[in-house]
Amino acid sequence: MTSLVTARNVSKHFGSLRAVDDVSFDIEKGKIVGLIGPNGAGKTTLLKALLGLTDCQGQLSVLGLDPFRQRKQMMNNICFIADVAVLPRWIRVSQLLDFVASTHPNFSRPKAEQFLSATKILRDSRVRELSKGMVTQLHLSIIMAIDAKLLVLDEPTLGLDIIFRKEFYGNLLNDYFDGERTILITTHQVEEIENLLTDIMFINAGKIILDTSMEAIPESFTELLTSGDAAESARKLGPLHERDVFGKHVMTFENVAREKLEGLGEVHTPSVADLFVAKVKGATA
Amino acid sequence: MINQQVALLRRELWEHRSIWVTPAAVATVISLLAVAMVVAIGAFGEAMNADIAKIADMTAPDNVRRAALAASLVGNTSVFLIAMWFLIVFYCLDALYAERKDKSILFWRSLPITDAETVVSKLVVVFLAIPVATFAAVVVSHLLNLIIVSIWLATEGASPGRMIWGAVPLFDTWGAVLTVLIALPIWMAPLVGWFLFVSAWAKRGPLLRAALPLAILPILEYIVFKSGHLWDAILTRFRLDAMPIFDGVKRVGANFDEDDMQSMLAENISLISWLDYGSFLTSIEVWAGLIVCGLFSGGAIWLRRYRDDS
Repeated sequence: MTSLVTARNVSKHFGSLRAVDDVSFDIEKGKIVGLIGPNGAGKTTLLKALLGLTDCQGQLSVLGLDPFRQRKQMMNNICFIADVAVLPRWIRVSQLLDFVASTHPNFSRPKAEQFLSATKILRDSRVRELSKGMVTQLHLSIIMAIDAKLLVLDEPTLGLDIIFRKEFYGNLLNDYFDGERTILITTHQVEEIENLLTDIMFINAGKIILDTSMEAIPESFTELLTSGDAAESARKLGPLHERDVFGKHVMTFENVAREKLEGLGEVHTPSVADLFVAKVKGATA
Repeated sequence: MINQQVALLRRELWEHRSIWVTPAAVATVISLLAVAMVVAIGAFGEAMNADIAKIADMTAPDNVRRAALAASLVGNTSVFLIAMWFLIVFYCLDALYAERKDKSILFWRSLPITDAETVVSKLVVVFLAIPVATFAAVVVSHLLNLIIVSIWLATEGASPGRMIWGAVPLFDTWGAVLTVLIALPIWMAPLVGWFLFVSAWAKRGPLLRAALPLAILPILEYIVFKSGHLWDAILTRFRLDAMPIFDGVKRVGANFDEDDMQSMLAENISLISWLDYGSFLTSIEVWAGLIVCGLFSGGAIWLRRYRDDS
């Protein structure tokens, strides 16, 4: 496997605030990685560093390039949609296609036209005349028509209704992802992307607190639903996190053998959302 | 590289339609005024007892008529120059501000285009696109006005061919106009750079933020040093007539003798010959202004590149 992104001891400080604090990780080719963290955890700062929008300390390499100093070269092979990277409202759809076609060497206009023909977006509409969902469709149609090695999506579906969100990820998986490309996604709606991710990274207070493949989660993490005396015995095994649901206790364990827990209640694999809460709360407890 | 600049330039023309709408609007208004004037003369000319065509035909020798036509074209052009001055100022203030205000900057920066290339495209608009668009509008406006007057002359029984088209120094005037249109943004260069810089820097209200230092710094200089160099240096960039390209015109003006009009006009006047290319190209003020423009533009690139707005 080749690493598309390599981060070694990457930090970014704003005054005394350590937005990203000595972070190291790799992102390999062909992965769909979810970067998940609470507000203010450093997600956006980390993505900005990856996209060369901000400088940082430490070693960061994206496609073998320094994202901040070799940005233009890197941007030939990277695409991103951020909830803040909005399309200019005055531009017409046809102008947008013209512009990207003449500035991006890896853009395929026929492909974009093909994606757009599946939507209700008209070529001579201005962006300001489109609904928020349609603007995202437009942006995605353009991004998917770019043959990029790495696609970065920062809260791409923020403010969209459930139908658009489902469609968005459906398109991404069916029409874009081919196992060769790499996608890095951040979102608050973890449940919706959980089954399309191959890897997850949790970030909290500037630190990566979990970096694992989805397949490895059941091996390391177990959720136990228990009550009464069994709960007491389970607590002795050192749960990462515990919460109460309808008078029962839900405990999340890390690296505790499933067999040990099976006698104590109902055992299953935690959802990414629950695991996230357990890791974040567990880390601060 | 060139293709990218062409694409960026097209973006500017899409986004800032005022680049071509402003000169087109000026040309339209001037043409409508010309039509209105001709209609008014047609309606009231008899009451004024002025058979203008006849008088003009009889009195004017060719060289005087040539001078008069050139003067009328210059008068027409001056309106475009003033409009262009405002166009440049407001374009520069908006150029790097609008994309931050509508938050599209990250979209633009998601494409493989450097910040320097983007800022250069804004300079290309100021130094090339705006003069060219304005020049095209001036040419159309001149032709339209001459045609309107020709039609009127023809209805009055005079010969527009001889009175207008045979006498008007069109190409000489257009050459001079194009020179001045190119010289104007070069003369304004330090303002152009400053306004672009503020447009990249101001979080809001770029006009106010650009204007205030231009007013306050000279006042500070006066209070501290009791001198007004800064004020002079700034003010001169606001004055079209201060451009060194007009040094020749000033010499002509200084030698102007009302009693000796005939000898002055004895030779066919040439506006191009009145322009002083030499003193413009060798003017320290011009080159210093371009350097200031370059520094501020560099600052604008730096801001767009390195400032993290969030």
